[in-house]
Amino acid sequence: MSVPLDQRPAAPARTTGAPSGPGGGPGRPRRTLSRPTPAGLLAALTLLVLAGGGVWSAVRLQLNVATVVDSAGNAADFVGRMLPLSFPPAAELARLTWQTLAIVIAATALSVVLSLPLALLAARNTTVGGPARAAARTLIVLARAVPDVVFAIAAFRVFGLGGMTGVIAMGLHSVGMVGKLYADAVEEIDEGPRDALRAAGAGRLQQIVGAVLPQVLPSLVATALHRLDINLRVSVVLGFVGVGGLGHALSNAISRLDYQEAMALALVVLLLCFAAEAVSGAIRRALLREVTDRSRPREPRRLRVRRGGAPKAVGARTAAVRTRPTAPAEATARGPARRISPRWDASRVRRLGWTALAVALVAASVVGADVSPSGLLDGVRALGPTLGEFLPPSTGGMADVLLADLWTTLQIALAGTLIGLVLALPLGALAARNVVRSPAVARSFRTVILCVRGVPELILAIVFVVVTGLGPVAGAFALGIGSVGLLGKLVADSLEEVDPGPAQAVLAGGASRVQVFFSAILPRAWPTTLGHLLYTLDVNIRSATLLGVVGAGGIGYDLLNAARVLRFDVVTTVVLMVLALVLCVEGLAVWLRKVYA
Amino acid sequence: MTAGTTAVARPAVAAPAADDTVVIRVDSLTKRFGRGDTALTALDDVSFEVRRGEVVALLGLSGSGKSTLLRHLDGLQAPTSGGGTVLGTDLATAVPAELRALRRRIGFVFQQFHLVGRLTVLENVCTGALGSLRGPRLGLFSYPRAVREAALGRLERVGLADWAFQRADTLSGGQQQRVAVARALMQEPSILLADEPVASLDPESSGQIMRLLKEVAEQGRLTVLCSLHQVDLALSWADRIVGLRHGRVVLDIPARGIDRATVMRLYASVGADAAVGAPGPAAGAG
Repeated sequence: MSVPLDQRPAAPARTTGAPSGPGGGPGRPRRTLSRPTPAGLLAALTLLVLAGGGVWSAVRLQLNVATVVDSAGNAADFVGRMLPLSFPPAAELARLTWQTLAIVIAATALSVVLSLPLALLAARNTTVGGPARAAARTLIVLARAVPDVVFAIAAFRVFGLGGMTGVIAMGLHSVGMVGKLYADAVEEIDEGPRDALRAAGAGRLQQIVGAVLPQVLPSLVATALHRLDINLRVSVVLGFVGVGGLGHALSNAISRLDYQEAMALALVVLLLCFAAEAVSGAIRRALLREVTDRSRPREPRRLRVRRGGAPKAVGARTAAVRTRPTAPAEATARGPARRISPRWDASRVRRLGWTALAVALVAASVVGADVSPSGLLDGVRALGPTLGEFLPPSTGGMADVLLADLWTTLQIALAGTLIGLVLALPLGALAARNVVRSPAVARSFRTVILCVRGVPELILAIVFVVVTGLGPVAGAFALGIGSVGLLGKLVADSLEEVDPGPAQAVLAGGASRVQVFFSAILPRAWPTTLGHLLYTLDVNIRSATLLGVVGAGGIGYDLLNAARVLRFDVVTTVVLMVLALVLCVEGLAVWLRKVYA
Repeated sequence: MTAGTTAVARPAVAAPAADDTVVIRVDSLTKRFGRGDTALTALDDVSFEVRRGEVVALLGLSGSGKSTLLRHLDGLQAPTSGGGTVLGTDLATAVPAELRALRRRIGFVFQQFHLVGRLTVLENVCTGALGSLRGPRLGLFSYPRAVREAALGRLERVGLADWAFQRADTLSGGQQQRVAVARALMQEPSILLADEPVASLDPESSGQIMRLLKEVAEQGRLTVLCSLHQVDLALSWADRIVGLRHGRVVLDIPARGIDRATVMRLYASVGADAAVGAPGPAAGAG
């Protein structure tokens, strides 16, 4: 990937030396390119190394046409073995599906319950003090750092096969994301209303509940729904380490080499993911619309109608305004029965209905996932001993194997990200409304990206494991396809966020659409795109670890094996190794973002 | 609450407008932001008094310290040195609980209204009563019936009872500011502080808000301190003008019968410091 060096229009063509005026004497030629900065060079070099690493990894893993062609035979064979799909009996399928949903919903609810207080402590504007804030932040970062599979391995020790293991594992790990996003949302609020409550003598808790929570409520719900989607996917992986539901049935089917049932279950998971995405997506869009509506300036529509229209003609227009359900005329009539709560109009009934439904669903899930207070207590009691089994970390005398596998994991992630980038850049560009002329084209590419995004990486990995055989190739392909969904969407979004002004100016200057894209849109979107790319690499390193669990190569396999032979201290070592790698990538991302900001 | 050096005003005591009770006494109040060479002096040795029922306009350029001064009077910020007494509470020594008790008795109106846009107008008004309620509240139903009734009464007072159950962000700027005034009235305050209450509004809405502030001040025998940009508005509206420049009080005169040019010197540019300082009855009345 070639990088335009310093993007900043620094010092327009510095005239070096010779005091040559505009018409200039025969001095040294003026610079027509900006002087490269050391940081810029280093950043470009780093990106080149990363890109080169991606290509090299792809070559080393033998991701090439030959492999694909070789696999084609496997694929045909595989299709033969998985057809006809054999679904479990309907009742069994319904039970498994409900169990999965219940675990996922209860886990997400648990993460929300844990995240909210943590986020309030972690947010700059609501925390109670420096140490509390640092502690809350540390907990959130830790929750994200430890993979859910590891939480599941630990929870399995305490709760055994069943719902609780999944609820605890996903609930705790989700705090890493949910808590962080909640804290961000709290920090982004408009401080004004809170200031007003403080000025009126409201206490700290009153201020937070009265002015902070109402502002962040939509984004709290949206984040929870987003996490619900993610957890649904994760629950399949966790089936391999003893969380009940569809994932567990899937893992059993695979170990029995019953591909007909395995693929049938995979299809059910896929459909479930699509359905969940559709539902939560619709709700999230509605919530976000509300949020953006709020920030738009209001026209004083009502006021004008009243002021201008009311005295003269109490015509149809005024009457229409009056009869709007939200402006009850009788509120002003000083009758004895003055309304002090809103009336039960359709929207209020609808709101209450949805809220009741959500509460009922969460309650049913808690029951369905076998969450019980006594179980939770057992968990708290077992916390110490279980933690003891994981500490101190140990390599189990196979440090060289672990390091080699970590290296493989990095290769898988790099190759997967490269595949993702190569596919996602054009797809993302074609899905951006301001790049493509026809909205229909943009919309259809968006749909393609959304569909890819809807497929859980694990399902891809299982399919590739079967097609290309156990090993890193399957992992790289699965991550590559998976990245297309994530990266394609992010690229399209960051392209669409570009300020349309410069593009119009360049277009007005007679440039072609391709020229406009490269000179006025891409440069502006580059820093964010780069950020997304590094984020994808970060995600892929974590995913590469998880995919190892299902046999897609790398260090995840060691993780699963260590857990099977009860070497939990080795599990800790693996987690720390992956963490160190992820931290390196994150550090790199922070630095690169600074250079290209 | 600490007993101040001056007479303590009780909001309940019926008194004619502008009696002799001093409700606000500011004494050598200084506020610096930052430290060392980069420190910014927002308020520099400010002293003045306000008697009960007085309607005072604070004038000055942006950055002259008007907002900072108002926030100090409500105990939202702590002075660097000096201090003052508001309703008998010593600003420099009061503990947080005392400051909270003080805030309950002072209404504050902000330039940007500061309503929670997602909540209904009525709930926003109800939040004004939080200081006298126990515990956090979310949702209209969580406020006692009496509070909701009172809130509706305040909305009637500002002419917006019809809008009670509408989301606050569906109202125009002028309407939102009226809701903010209703919220401040929920506290049954004895002092009303307003920080540029009309700076974001069109002239017609501005006029409405200023009339409303004056009316509620007269009806409730409130002491009002209001920072303003518009000199003419201040002259016609206030009893008294206090002018700030670079954090210092450079003007403190009755509004009646003064000449516009005197006030305009507040806004004069370069090197006018001395010019303003010299003729006016200098800083620190009292």
